[in-house]
Amino acid sequence: MATISFDLVSPENLIFNDDVGTIIVPGKDGDLGVLPGHSQVMSSLRSGRVMVYSEDKNLVKSFFVSGGFAEINPEKCIVLAESVVELNSLDKSSIEREIEELGSKESKESEELLSIAKAKLEAITVSFYDKI
Amino acid sequence: MPSLKDIKTQINSVGSTKKITSAMKMVAASKLRRSQEKAEAARPYSSRLEEMLSSLASSAASGEGIIKLLTGTGNDQNYIVVPVSADRGLCGGFNSSINRETFKLVKSLEGNGKKVQLMPVGKKSRDFFNRVMKAQIIESFVDLNVSSTGYESALNISNKLQELYFEGKFDKCILVFNKFKSAISQEVTQQQLIPLDVSNSAKEEEKENSSNAIYDYEPDEETILKDLLPKNVSIQIFKVLLESDAGEQGARMAAMDNATRNAGEMIDSLTLKYNRTRQAFITKELIEIISGAESI
Repeated sequence: MATISFDLVSPENLIFNDDVGTIIVPGKDGDLGVLPGHSQVMSSLRSGRVMVYSEDKNLVKSFFVSGGFAEINPEKCIVLAESVVELNSLDKSSIEREIEELGSKESKESEELLSIAKAKLEAITVSFYDKI
Repeated sequence: MPSLKDIKTQINSVGSTKKITSAMKMVAASKLRRSQEKAEAARPYSSRLEEMLSSLASSAASGEGIIKLLTGTGNDQNYIVVPVSADRGLCGGFNSSINRETFKLVKSLEGNGKKVQLMPVGKKSRDFFNRVMKAQIIESFVDLNVSSTGYESALNISNKLQELYFEGKFDKCILVFNKFKSAISQEVTQQQLIPLDVSNSAKEEEKENSSNAIYDYEPDEETILKDLLPKNVSIQIFKVLLESDAGEQGARMAAMDNATRNAGEMIDSLTLKYNRTRQAFITKELIEIISGAESI
């Protein structure tokens, strides 16, 4: 099976750059499954999980991204994300605490942070996409 | 004639200054390497973002809402100038050249009848403009420490700028910063941040990708553009901050290298003076002894 080259880029550095089998990207209007030969798409992203699979459909890496863009063409998939963390480095209890703290504040900024934190919590609790 | 002790003290004090400057040079050199790495690491993101933006820029027709970051307000009466300097001194002409250039720019804009406001970044330019044109400063950012706080610091500036822009406080934003050319040379550069100047990059893009197939946009071009434009402002600021940081370390390294060399030269000449004086004392004493012996 063919591979597709995948770049995950944050403002600070290039986080992931390798040839992979499949990537699932959280597009604004729904998740995009990207396989080699995907049509050309440019999409903005919502906060959520970016899942990277090898050619034989094994999960290689999973990241949490908040906001950003994806540029996809048949040979290459580039994800530009404002912030990127590896999914298994997220800690459930600290996120829950963050949500509680932010919930008590009322400002535009904390609302935004709150929605990101909630997306984070969802990202670590759900398990679909672990196997495809 | 200075006494021997005076010269000795002077030699010692120059010696300790030399130690400090050479230590600062070493620190700057290692910081320079780190800042350079950071600046390079940030490059893929900003170049990709620019590519995306230039391919989308043509689709921006109307001048409403966020799109105004690209198309401008239609006026060019109110300017905001953002000089980016360092927080600390002892780096040669790094800060003063920024201040001088900004001052000139402001004066020439005002000469053309524009209204100019300032938003200095970094202690050195804030202090300077606090002295010379305090009334025009609307906000200042100091102690950013971009190499450790990263993207957050750029976001703060970018959010503030966009807030002011959408309140209609200014029409054009110009950054004045030191572009990092090499470890020993920086170039004072002006960059128009808002409205975005895509004409150059867009043309290059057209040449490269003229045969490229058309993209599908999801959700649609305008929505993506609306997401993209504010991010681009932030990333441009981030890039400038990183470059200025690398430039600062480079300038400091060069300045401290010079200072160390000068201190070395000074020590040499002082040592020579010390030895001569000592010799003169000895000769004088000998003459006194001899003439004393002769007179007996």
